[in-house]
Amino acid sequence: MSSPARVAPLDRLLRPIHRWVWSDFDRRVRKLLAFGEVESDGGRDILRAAELTPDPLLRRLYLEHAIDELHHGDLFRQRGAALLRTRSTRLKTLFNGTPLPGGHGLDDLSVKDEPDHRLLAFLHVAEKAAAGRFTVYRELVDDDPQTREIFEEILRDEVFHMNYTYTQLARVLPDSYRRQVWLARGKRLWQRYLRIAVAIATVIGNAILTIMYFLVLPPFAWVAKRAERREQPGWTPSPRRPDELPTSQY
Amino acid sequence: MRILGISAHYHDSAAALLVDGVPVCAVQEERLSRHKNDAAFPEGAIEWCLDHAGLQPADLDAVVFYERSLLKFERILTCTLRAFPRSWRSFPQAMKNSLGEKVWVRGIISSRLGVPAKKIYFTRHHEAHAAAAFLTAPTRRAAILTADGVGEWATLTVGHGERHADGRTEITALREIRFPHSLGMLYSTFTAYLGFAVNDDEYKVMGLAAYGRPTMIEQVRRVIQPTADGGFTLVPEYFEFQTTASRSYSSRFLDLFGPPRNPYDPIDLETVEGRRFADCAASVQRVLEDTLVDIARALHRETGLPDLCYGGGVALNGVANARLLAESGFERVFVPPAPGDAGCALGAALYADRIYFRNPDREFPDHPFWGPVVAAGELARAAREDEQDVAELEDAELIERVAEALAAGRVVGWMDGATEFGPRALGHRSILAAPHSADMRDRLNRDIKYREEFRPFAPIVPAEAADTYFELPPGAARLARYMSGVFPVRPEWRERLAAVTHVDGSARLQALERGMAPRLHALLEAYGRRTGIPVLLNTSFNLSGEPIVTRALEGYSSFRRCGIDLLVAGPTLVSKRAVRREKPAN
Repeated sequence: MSSPARVAPLDRLLRPIHRWVWSDFDRRVRKLLAFGEVESDGGRDILRAAELTPDPLLRRLYLEHAIDELHHGDLFRQRGAALLRTRSTRLKTLFNGTPLPGGHGLDDLSVKDEPDHRLLAFLHVAEKAAAGRFTVYRELVDDDPQTREIFEEILRDEVFHMNYTYTQLARVLPDSYRRQVWLARGKRLWQRYLRIAVAIATVIGNAILTIMYFLVLPPFAWVAKRAERREQPGWTPSPRRPDELPTSQY
Repeated sequence: MRILGISAHYHDSAAALLVDGVPVCAVQEERLSRHKNDAAFPEGAIEWCLDHAGLQPADLDAVVFYERSLLKFERILTCTLRAFPRSWRSFPQAMKNSLGEKVWVRGIISSRLGVPAKKIYFTRHHEAHAAAAFLTAPTRRAAILTADGVGEWATLTVGHGERHADGRTEITALREIRFPHSLGMLYSTFTAYLGFAVNDDEYKVMGLAAYGRPTMIEQVRRVIQPTADGGFTLVPEYFEFQTTASRSYSSRFLDLFGPPRNPYDPIDLETVEGRRFADCAASVQRVLEDTLVDIARALHRETGLPDLCYGGGVALNGVANARLLAESGFERVFVPPAPGDAGCALGAALYADRIYFRNPDREFPDHPFWGPVVAAGELARAAREDEQDVAELEDAELIERVAEALAAGRVVGWMDGATEFGPRALGHRSILAAPHSADMRDRLNRDIKYREEFRPFAPIVPAEAADTYFELPPGAARLARYMSGVFPVRPEWRERLAAVTHVDGSARLQALERGMAPRLHALLEAYGRRTGIPVLLNTSFNLSGEPIVTRALEGYSSFRRCGIDLLVAGPTLVSKRAVRREKPAN
């Protein structure tokens, strides 16, 4: 069985960055609110797994797991909101509903397409990684006992989640459960790579589009603004274009 | 002809299937994917519709998309150009968003369904809304009003429709208000300002409005102004939704209305701030109503018709709908059960059938139950596996037992037949409870729905008894059929209907006809025999942040996670028992 809450080497390496994130009030609030969304999304995904699995024991376990995750979401959101009430923030947008990169539920896992063994392996690896990271976070919020307490409560749940997923994986796939865990680790690594690749592509794409915006658009913008000035406010007759084909997208 | 209608990509995607002019099925993607307001291309909904009808994609004669995607792209690009250079941040996002998938609708439909491009048709967004409102209503001639956030360019349209005796159908759009001038966007801007989620929580603004006084009408009228031709215009300096995706209102808006609400702070109506937000909600609600009434009055004068068919997301505002009925001059107002974008899937299919293909008019079945049917056996199996108390009963006995439990103050999850198409639980996927005390309302808010205290619950009553408990003006029964209007509870009943009477004495009732949901109607009667009042509290069967349940197992998982005492699916009745926990105590 896996040892609880072991910090991954990567998280040890990233500790200065984690410290930088948690040391700032605004970043702490944003992180807590984002965690709230991620945990709730994950909870809903696991709930879906509970509704879909034909295995009664797994249904009960998934349901408890989902309830825990939804509860964690509430804890994070409430703590973020409580911190916000203590002082003003310079954030213009606190949290716009976009989860952390790649943090949408179970990494966009399509629960309905996954057999139980793959889902269990995935959950085990994800919970183990989360437990390790939350261990680091717990240490970094020593100055904030209530947030620390939340991490402690969640860590206790994560240990249960790590253990039951591993035990159940061994039950449903006794011959190759270790292999499934390695496959899940590999998939997680691949998803991390994709996430970084997408982030880099987004930056490049934004840069190119922004350059185009300033180089190509000005004359068209001038024309559009002129046309706008000629528009009358209020009603416009509904367009009746005799040439409008029902098969046209325009 | 077999016609598939699709709405997708913005919010609330859906699919609907027409065979020979009559709907066979319709479902929102969220009900199958279990992601609330799922905007993705509705593959699950399409697959379910085709399976349900026993069709393959190749059997379809036409697939109709509910808007002209390139026209929409033109609007997005034009608005970006008009806002140059302030739009530099939103431009990359808008382009990626549109060019990534949304403008290639024909190719997406063709590749995912495997239908040839020549079978793919498009309607304008508001044509789909108009068709969904007019062609589903039991009327031959009517004025048509549609209002939402925005379609391609139009945000509000007026027109009229006629179903001729020879089977021809006409829908004529007269004129429109164009983006960025939009009642839907105005209301959404205030929704965001009041700390609620845009495109989801607008109804919370309506609920909050009842707690406030419209003391800020003057300010609201500075941001939306009437035009000389009877339309309206939003003053652009107060808004940012037309230039950026990150915020709807501008700094000038904040100068006018004060700081926005922090979405994570609860609304405390005892505080000055809480009351300011409630007053703000009341003010925008009043201005919305006034504007709609003015437009509808003018339309009534112009068309001289007694009926109004009204669609678009704004038609979900039941308070405004009741005022339209009372003050616009129309004798009857028809709002379909799915007036929003999901309903456009059905509207687009109907529009293509009647207008593009000139197929003869057909009577439209007057009910909202077009989705998957609940499988009671699934519930019985799961509940027995979990050692719950399961009974499978004849209808009469089940109804008596449920009525008895409701009268004893227990809360019931009720699943029956096919799911509703649209955002309302109209009796097939409902949580039911006794409506008599405010304690019940608080219990439901606290233990079951996990939602804000200020939000009201709705009553359901047999149509023939509705007038006894509620003040229904002529024509109100039609709005109440699909829970589309808010009407006063009669003063003498308010105390005994405390859980469903809002702070202003109103209720968004559903008047249920026996033919629409016979089992629920029988339950209301049985409950009436016990308590003397055949009224129940009816709220949608979902928990906070989740779509309404579809399958029995989804109902069961909700039942397990909240304070519902009994769960019914068809003949199966499950009573809650404490279940052995798998998780060790900490």
